[in-house]
Amino acid sequence: MSSKLRLALVFFLLFGLLAGAGLAQDSVSITVRCKASPPEEDWRCNSFAVVEEQVEAELGIDIDLNLIQDNAGWGDYKNEFVLASEAGEAPDIILSGHEDIGAWAPAGFIIPLDDVIGMHSEFDDIVPSLWDSHGYAGQIWGIPQDAEARPIFYSKLLLRDLGWSEDDIESLPDRVVAGEWTFADMLATAEAAIEEGIVDEGNGWWHRPSNGPDFLYYYFGHGGEVLDMEGNLVVDREALVATYELLGGAVASGVLRSDIIGLDWNEVWHPTVAQADTVLFAAGGTWNWPNWSINYVADKGGDEFLFENIGLTLIPAMATGNAITLTHPLTYMISSGSANPDVALELIAAITTPEHNNKHAIDSFHLGILNAQLESEAYANNRLLSSAHYMLDHTTALPNHPGWNAWSNAYFLGIQAVETGEADAAGAADIAIAQMQNELGDGIAVR
Amino acid sequence: MSQRQEKREAHSRSAWRSHLGAYGFMAPAGILVIIFFLIPVAIVLYLSVTNLASSNFTSDLARMEFIGLKNFRTLFNDQFARKIFFNTIFYVLVTLSFFNVGLALIVSLLTTHIDRNAGFFFRALWILPRITSPVVYILIWKRMMAEAPFGIINQFNEILGQPTFNYVSTNPWVFVVLVNGFIGVSFGMIIFTSAIESIPRDLLNASLVDGSSKLQRIRYVILPLIRWPLLFVVTYQTLSLLTSFEEILLLTDGGPGLYRTEVWSLTAFHRALSNYFGNAQWGYGSAFAVLLVFIGVVLAVIYMRVFRFDELVAEPRVEAL
Repeated sequence: MSSKLRLALVFFLLFGLLAGAGLAQDSVSITVRCKASPPEEDWRCNSFAVVEEQVEAELGIDIDLNLIQDNAGWGDYKNEFVLASEAGEAPDIILSGHEDIGAWAPAGFIIPLDDVIGMHSEFDDIVPSLWDSHGYAGQIWGIPQDAEARPIFYSKLLLRDLGWSEDDIESLPDRVVAGEWTFADMLATAEAAIEEGIVDEGNGWWHRPSNGPDFLYYYFGHGGEVLDMEGNLVVDREALVATYELLGGAVASGVLRSDIIGLDWNEVWHPTVAQADTVLFAAGGTWNWPNWSINYVADKGGDEFLFENIGLTLIPAMATGNAITLTHPLTYMISSGSANPDVALELIAAITTPEHNNKHAIDSFHLGILNAQLESEAYANNRLLSSAHYMLDHTTALPNHPGWNAWSNAYFLGIQAVETGEADAAGAADIAIAQMQNELGDGIAVR
Repeated sequence: MSQRQEKREAHSRSAWRSHLGAYGFMAPAGILVIIFFLIPVAIVLYLSVTNLASSNFTSDLARMEFIGLKNFRTLFNDQFARKIFFNTIFYVLVTLSFFNVGLALIVSLLTTHIDRNAGFFFRALWILPRITSPVVYILIWKRMMAEAPFGIINQFNEILGQPTFNYVSTNPWVFVVLVNGFIGVSFGMIIFTSAIESIPRDLLNASLVDGSSKLQRIRYVILPLIRWPLLFVVTYQTLSLLTSFEEILLLTDGGPGLYRTEVWSLTAFHRALSNYFGNAQWGYGSAFAVLLVFIGVVLAVIYMRVFRFDELVAEPRVEAL
């Protein structure tokens, strides 16, 4: 090869490289971290991969998408984000509980979205009530990813043994909504089942075995409030005592186990409740269903077995007279350290469609977040979702407040005290209130 | 400069040079102590006088809000602080005396008084809990203790027609101590065994020639000669137990009920690093950690006085003669 030819080749190669670089689309890197339990909750992160090319085409950029699906405990998961934010290594999009807005917004780890939400029509269709749990200091800080209900699961199998007709069983959710069948009726039914030997003592009703959002609906059910009109933390002593009386009374009557708190979720709680032959009523979450179907009763027929033997209803009415539940929407938040928040929001908008959210809702039994989704065929025809969606009309939510963890930990202390018999209801309320006052000082008002 | 002064300076230079080697040898350990103990203690001490939490988190010390002793006031006003403190004392004392020192000493003495290979085999068995991952180790225990029909012990109870129990709920301390004690035995066992094995055979044989029984030989010959390893194991394991919480976290998470098995270091972890609803309280958790450091240092000093540490590290009298 002559030297001229070699020179020409080098020239063309260099030219080609430079031209290629000039013509190449801008590349932006987006990292998404999702809390999700595989396989049923995989769409929380995987949906982004599905829309990646679509968003690339829309924006004319190349997206280097990095999806991190994490199934760590909530405490560790949240700390990871806090530490990563401070280290400048936070993901662009973090999926977490809406209550984290109360801690991460004042810390400056996430950005407010009020000014940009309007730029994406996809967000116009989000069920309006869901935005309520995404606010802090008058601004919106996240986009709802899903919603859910925390119902009472009832064993049809054991109710049949107790002499309930199919009509009685199938109409139970409606009677609960109407306030005809209350929490007191539920406890009385459980007591009857124990007396007749249909369930063992302590297996009339199970609540969750560890701290978590569910416990708040007992307090709400007795008229309690966590935030006042100005958004300050409050505790209602009367509602607190009534709540502890309900829980302590259930233990005293033998309906609820005194050692329910501390039971292992996966070793005992799920495998027992899913069989439907041991526990009459269990307070859980809609997402428990696919978990049971896949992991605990697959050999018995999975969903078919569960439909045959387990039903779900709102939490029956307590002192307020209204049946309730609690929704704990997970939310996509955009990190303040993100170099491309506009691209991150574009990606979130692209998956906030009935098509994408339905996949998550159906696989994981989480409730829809879009009005159009509720009218879509896939959602409306889904037996599970259609049996639970009405619960969103009766829902409550956790507060977004930096002091919420101290409030909830103290509240949970009272529950532990009354259920283990270490204090009566009034004593448990004293313990909880003293703990709140010690840790929150002037930040809590006792009513 | 007078000749005398010159001599004195030369002596001082030579003394410095002669110590230089000693400082050099101490330097690596000293640097490690500074990096991994003194600096973290200083940082935790500083964090404990701030209100650092997830909601105002920063790693910039200058941006943290100084709140004086407020965290310590909150801690001392906590209605459960006293209970958690005495839980810790109970846990350390029982685990240390029955397992980390007591059983470790018994296993060492037994396995050094039987066939050497058999002794090695039994000691290897006792090391298994130590080398098993804590999560796997606790899963094994949980599977053993779980209530019927899931737990292995309860399955035997059912076969034998005995009542079944939720052991974690009915006897949490028994299992917390057993789980930690089985891990703790191995450390003392290795130290004590090597100390017993290094006692000159002449001394042990001489005691038998003098007519002592095996028990008398243990009491009057072996135990006095392993006083230094005993001090080391008691001190090290006390401090280790004071700060250990991972097995309790995985087994009971401080429950059941109101802090029944919660220990001080677990509370520090719960406050500063692990909260179901987020917004961990780093400053408040650090206040718990600071008190733990203080207690550890005080205990270390007490142990050194009680065991007469100065005498133990003095020049050996036999060689000095």
